[in-house]
Amino acid sequence: MPVKTISYEELIPGYKFPPAPYELSASLVSKYLKAVDSAGDGFVPPLAITACAIAAMTGSFSLPSGTIVIHASQELEFFKLVPIGATIECHIGVAQKITRGKMSMLILEFEVFDKGKEKVQSGRATIALPT
Amino acid sequence: MLTEIQEGKALNSVVRHITQEKINLYAEASGDFNPIHIDESFAATTPLGGTIAHGMLNLAHVSEMMTSAFGRSWMSEGKLRAKFKEPARPGDTLTIDGKIGCVEQKDDVSYANCSFECRNQKGETIVTGETIVKLSSDKE
Repeated sequence: MPVKTISYEELIPGYKFPPAPYELSASLVSKYLKAVDSAGDGFVPPLAITACAIAAMTGSFSLPSGTIVIHASQELEFFKLVPIGATIECHIGVAQKITRGKMSMLILEFEVFDKGKEKVQSGRATIALPT
Repeated sequence: MLTEIQEGKALNSVVRHITQEKINLYAEASGDFNPIHIDESFAATTPLGGTIAHGMLNLAHVSEMMTSAFGRSWMSEGKLRAKFKEPARPGDTLTIDGKIGCVEQKDDVSYANCSFECRNQKGETIVTGETIVKLSSDKE
């Protein structure tokens, strides 16, 4: 997980979060599979990887207490299978920040790489939150 | 796995029951501890009126349907675009339906374009979207 959080105001288009490493351990994958009611098939489910990236994104900035973050949309592309036990690194940046009335939309882009620096996944998340 | 790929073919539906226990487990696995998902007393005071499942938890069921239909092609070369329409709540039963919209050929490679919808027991749409899966390459 990122060690430092920044305020929402500091998030501007072009901002890059420090890379966040994750170990996709057997226990983490097992917990994930239990939560989503899936048997799995020996590799890390791609959305388990996305879940880590999303958590890295939303956990990287601080919001006023009680703020509700709404995940509005998600785009994903998978590039390779990831074995259980692998370590991945999430690279996240702010693509856009839009304010409409009392709502603010944050569009975040991310890329996930394995230890060999090969891209395993990329995506784009739109997050809405009250201003 | 699907044995026959043809336009209009329905994918096997996935049905999942959402519980607070699964939401809490998902929070632990993903590291997303936003109180709207796990703190029932806090969530009760918000306009949502109670806890809701993580959007990515709902989307995981879509990926399950795609993995069941296309196997590792989906896991290693899939694309997805989703819109979260309504929250899913503990006690909800979600049904995920999908179908192959069209099969396209690009540079000697076939791709299946699918659409999906995740609904709750009341018929409300929770998540909707499209996916693309690489099927085969004539060069392979």
